[in-house]
Amino acid sequence: MGNPIAIDLTLPAQMLAFLILVWILAKFAWKPLLNMMEKRRTGIEESLAQAQAEREQAERIKREYQAEMQKARQEAQEVIARATKVSEDRAAEILAAAREEAEKVKRSAIADIEREKEKALADVRTQIVDLSVSVAERIIRQKLDVNVEAQLVNQFIQEVGDLPC
Amino acid sequence: MHEETILWHLSNGMTFHGRTLIMTWIVMVVCIIFCLLGVRKLTSGKPGKMQNLLEFIVDLVDGIAQGNLGSAKARVMMPYLLSLITFIFFSNMFGLLPNFTFKVFSILGIEHGKLNEIFGGSSLMSPTADINTTLALALLTFCLIFIMGIRYKGVHYFKHFLEPTPVFALIHVIDLISKPMTLAFRLFGNIFAGEILLGVILMLPGFFVFAGSFMSAVWLAFSIFIGCIQSYVFTVLTTAYIAQAAVSEEH
Repeated sequence: MGNPIAIDLTLPAQMLAFLILVWILAKFAWKPLLNMMEKRRTGIEESLAQAQAEREQAERIKREYQAEMQKARQEAQEVIARATKVSEDRAAEILAAAREEAEKVKRSAIADIEREKEKALADVRTQIVDLSVSVAERIIRQKLDVNVEAQLVNQFIQEVGDLPC
Repeated sequence: MHEETILWHLSNGMTFHGRTLIMTWIVMVVCIIFCLLGVRKLTSGKPGKMQNLLEFIVDLVDGIAQGNLGSAKARVMMPYLLSLITFIFFSNMFGLLPNFTFKVFSILGIEHGKLNEIFGGSSLMSPTADINTTLALALLTFCLIFIMGIRYKGVHYFKHFLEPTPVFALIHVIDLISKPMTLAFRLFGNIFAGEILLGVILMLPGFFVFAGSFMSAVWLAFSIFIGCIQSYVFTVLTTAYIAQAAVSEEH
């Protein structure tokens, strides 16, 4: 058995062979693979960034929506308040009008009553006068001594005339 | 026992280690097929099984390179380091495979390029069980140390030989030379010794073959472990040496 450590032309041949191997593998295997892995890395980074952006956008939209909701609720509250106030005003107005109307009706009724009362009184007075006159006539006709009784008749007439209505 | 080194002679007396070269070429083909299977259906979505395996290797080497070199230099070195770890791993595994040719070259009497002798043993041979292969890889690392050093530091790279004083230049040179030497001999020694012991176990006589089967299985398992570790170590050390040369200490 010879010396295992024998260096000859195999050495440059092996160097050349290995360089060829490196060239072939680099060209056909490692470069595409490394590029692909780099692409994958950037792809993952991009999608992470995109996801982040999308989450931020969603957050923003949510905030906007909430603000919108808040505003709408406030507006509705205002509308309700305004409507309540208007209706209350209107109710008060109607009430006041009704009260006024009632007052008017009452006043006119009182006036009517007053007028009717006066009319009735006047009627009564006329009837009393008529009655008195007829009574006096009868008395005078039956037993009146013109001289004596004349004073009496006058007095009576006077008294009737002074009667309050 | 490990066979006699099979030599291919050139007319001017130069020699090649035929067995090493043939095995290297087979390993290269295996590496290329393995990698192409991985990138055949390349997708950035859900990776297939082979792509997953390749991505595991890439992540492993990327971790080593990023940690030592920083991402810009790591990007430049990645294809080399990936090829290195793949090639050494498959090389280390190759000596553990049984001779799948069943000595067909001997039976058919094909003697061209001594193929009958090359595929004559009981198992194949790791290209890394030859000092030429490991030294070739180590010398490439050595070249890369210089290339990366000059590329990223310029002339300033050579100044470190004279630091802290010019007297240290000798020590720096020894340090520089010892790097590829240790790389080459570590890998060669581990794999060569593994093959020798495997060969010895397979040569057990008669009845002891059955006892040897258990030994062989244990040693194969251990060799697989060693093979993985050594390919990793070679890559890590190559990265570390390049980082030493290319990364400025001010950072």
